[in-house]
Amino acid sequence: MAKFFPIGQIMGFVFSLILTVIAMLVYFTDMSFTTGMIILLVTAFIQAGLQFMVFMHAGETEDKWAIYSNIIYGIGLIVLTILGTLLILIWDM
Amino acid sequence: MGKVNNNVPLEYSTEENSLKIFGFWTFLGAEIMLFGTLFASYFTLVDRTGNGPTAAEIFEITPVLAETFILLTSSFTIGLAIHAMRLGSKKATLTFMGITLLLGAAFLGVEIYEFVHYAHVGAGITVSAFTSILLTTLGTHGLHVTFGLFWGIFLMIQIAKRGLTSVTAGKAFVFSLYWHFLDVVWIFIFSFIYLKGMM
Repeated sequence: MAKFFPIGQIMGFVFSLILTVIAMLVYFTDMSFTTGMIILLVTAFIQAGLQFMVFMHAGETEDKWAIYSNIIYGIGLIVLTILGTLLILIWDM
Repeated sequence: MGKVNNNVPLEYSTEENSLKIFGFWTFLGAEIMLFGTLFASYFTLVDRTGNGPTAAEIFEITPVLAETFILLTSSFTIGLAIHAMRLGSKKATLTFMGITLLLGAAFLGVEIYEFVHYAHVGAGITVSAFTSILLTTLGTHGLHVTFGLFWGIFLMIQIAKRGLTSVTAGKAFVFSLYWHFLDVVWIFIFSFIYLKGMM
């Protein structure tokens, strides 16, 4: 049975649970909006990276740099899109 | 089918499989854009509530936490399915896939409950710009999960019938990428729609 539960994936799962609990703190404790957003940004992006590396095996094959650049390109574009949208429509700069 | 390489996991054993898996990563790159633009719209419209309720008024922490932990666990179990597949155990692969799909169905059950709750508290999709973009974003993710459920069921039938071959292993791996990706999207929904809205 044990062979079906690799330690790496169990650690990944435990770590993702811990990150979720940390993110929940912004709801269950009293903190400023800025602190809360920083915590959420950090936990969300670590969680996403964890999924990509541990569970999606992104770094295992020879084409790993093609996979990385594809995902980094996607994330880069969307960060620009979201920041640009916020900049013009919400932050009114 | 091309040359078979026995030094790599079954799902990568042919050139065609490797290319299909890379092709699926490219599709996920496009999915990042799809959900990202929904998030950009959400952040723009979240305070445009008109005469309707605000985010803080309609969000409930309990179903949100249930959805989060259910989907997180299902992401773990589909990872175990791929691990079992690499060990060559068809039975364990199917068991973990089955658990994953059951968790997926549970997630959808909670999400449907949540949507009914929104309708009851006067937050239907036509009420305000906020409710429109909220339900569009959640609904797009929920539709992806629904699609994944059917995809997974048919994949399980195929693996049960044909066993673990380079073809079925490639398909199962691509399915696992899709399922993990839905969990990644949910993490962002959980953080930047729900937790931010209830802070």
